[in-house]
Amino acid sequence: MTDEKLSTVTRPSPHLATGGQGFKRLIKAALGWLQHHQTAINVLNVYPIPDGDTGTNMVLTMQSAWAEIENTSESNVGRIAHQMAHGALMGARGNSGVILSQIWRGFARSLDGKGVYHAQDLAAACREAATTAYKGVVKPVEGTILTVARMTADAATAAAEVSEDLVYVLEYMVFAAHEAVALTPSLLPVLREAGVVDAGGQGLFVILEGMLRYMRGEPVAEDVQLVEGVDLVTTGLEPGEAGYGYDVQFLVVGQGLDVDTIRQRIMEMGECPLVVGDPTTVKVHVHVPDPGVPISYGTSLGSLRDVVVEDMQAQYQDFIVKRELTPPTPPQASQDIGVVAVAPGDGLAHVFQSLGVSAIVHGGQTMNPSTKDLLEAIEHLPAAQVIVLPNNGNIILAAEQARALSSKSVAVIPSRSTPQGVAALLAINYQDDFETNVAAMTSAMEEIETGEVTTATRSATINGVQVTDGQIIGLHNEELKVSGTTVEEVVRALLREMNAAEREIITLYYGEAISESDANALADLLQQDWPEQEIEIIAGGQPHYYYILSVE
Amino acid sequence: MSKRQPSLGRIEVSPTAIASIANEAVLACYGIVGTAAKDLAAGIANVLSRDSKRGIEVRIEDGQIIIDVYVIIEYGTRIAAVARSVMNVVKFNVERAIGVPVAEVNVHVEGLRISDTD
Repeated sequence: MTDEKLSTVTRPSPHLATGGQGFKRLIKAALGWLQHHQTAINVLNVYPIPDGDTGTNMVLTMQSAWAEIENTSESNVGRIAHQMAHGALMGARGNSGVILSQIWRGFARSLDGKGVYHAQDLAAACREAATTAYKGVVKPVEGTILTVARMTADAATAAAEVSEDLVYVLEYMVFAAHEAVALTPSLLPVLREAGVVDAGGQGLFVILEGMLRYMRGEPVAEDVQLVEGVDLVTTGLEPGEAGYGYDVQFLVVGQGLDVDTIRQRIMEMGECPLVVGDPTTVKVHVHVPDPGVPISYGTSLGSLRDVVVEDMQAQYQDFIVKRELTPPTPPQASQDIGVVAVAPGDGLAHVFQSLGVSAIVHGGQTMNPSTKDLLEAIEHLPAAQVIVLPNNGNIILAAEQARALSSKSVAVIPSRSTPQGVAALLAINYQDDFETNVAAMTSAMEEIETGEVTTATRSATINGVQVTDGQIIGLHNEELKVSGTTVEEVVRALLREMNAAEREIITLYYGEAISESDANALADLLQQDWPEQEIEIIAGGQPHYYYILSVE
Repeated sequence: MSKRQPSLGRIEVSPTAIASIANEAVLACYGIVGTAAKDLAAGIANVLSRDSKRGIEVRIEDGQIIIDVYVIIEYGTRIAAVARSVMNVVKFNVERAIGVPVAEVNVHVEGLRISDTD
């Protein structure tokens, strides 16, 4: 590898403190990004009442906050936060606006007397923001902006523990806020019924995301200079542009309802109107650009039931839930020691990522990655020291070759299976130095027993075990030990061979050929045979192997 | 969508029942930290337990439902915004529960609770 550029990839220097003017720009960015998402947030609004104004109210509240600090040259972050919180309070509109103003009030109070804030101060301010917000109501309702504020504060606290980098802390907060928003329908039935996430919670997420985008140098509004080259379609939805309609349906229950008058009004609002019913119950269906219009009208007639708003909104749901957001890796960890792991299948790749692996190389049995693939992964990491987990006996050699070619300090932990790789990863401690970690990981790896269940590809007799082509076979630490006709039978025989009864934890990584319910059924069976052991099921999604087992 | 069958009888919802619904709605309303009994309005605003309906008054005038709520609001919130939100939330929840329009929701701010000073 002669291209030196590859090894000079570094993370930008950490952002350690934010002062008054920096905070001011963050608020501006938050406001811009919120305005950008205003309509999409309005559409989500079904709680506490479906009036479709949450986005607008939050924008008005933030505008009032911004107006208070727009012309100040204050450099003290505590003072500017107070001014801004005061602006939010004075301009608070609607339920969500009032809560938002309380969040800022707590945030500002925590920063009292601070010229700048560091990661720990930011975490404390977020905590105080959530606490203050919760105080403002007798019965806090979960699944709302309150939940998002609280989970974001938790994330800020956790992130500030491991890093002083404000960008990282904010990244982690945004990630947690997104998770919290996605959780809201499961916490608040009215959201689940309507098939939406909480509008206020989504608004708070957007505010935080706007700040993060600013810190990363990404555009937050259409009128900023960087707008060129940015695909606005992927950053938000542009209601009205594509000519879509919201599919709105609801029942109005009331007294003396005039079906003809209602039909007339609904027809004026949009397309495909359908209004049927009797004086006590009327079913309304219509396609409109703004679902708030028919819903507000319905509310004025009586009580609404079975409110359904679909189509573009459903897509927005998908969009926000599926939008790729992965938990950021703590910068210290990736700066000091990076880990490259080879994983066959997305499930196992995900397992490794969740354990803090910085780069995944896809490969495994019958699709070994090349030395070049491994070397590129190693060189692309910002870390100067890299640990490689080949996770397959056939890849260890390629990993060793990559190590020899790399300009970095590289250690190959000779893990021969996924369970060994996982065991090694669990032993890593980013506080320790490289050599200590390599030793700890190697010894942790050696304590794991690996089993693999697959199909025999030819007939043979190995180690006294006779197999015929197509039979199910079980390997213990890569040696053929058992064979049989069903997967279940082989898994059980293999676990006995591995002496599972003497161990504590049995882990099953089920492959792409096995469904989750099959894996769970098998786990139930195994639990009867090994009642003392803890049995864990993980979606490995690996090809060829029905199950990869480990006992420890 | 079955039609009502008047021959079976009448459905009556008492003001007390409406008050219960309104009370639940008020207490879940952001910015409200308690309700207060109307009688004490002149004196000490009494922060009551969440089950109490003493802070809610329901009247039927000319067949129209009028609800008065007496509340304690968290100091430091925008009172007008909180009160307006109470009106909307009470109206929406009562109408949803009993299916009869609510003509008026009057919010009386009986006091403020100061839990933090800035």
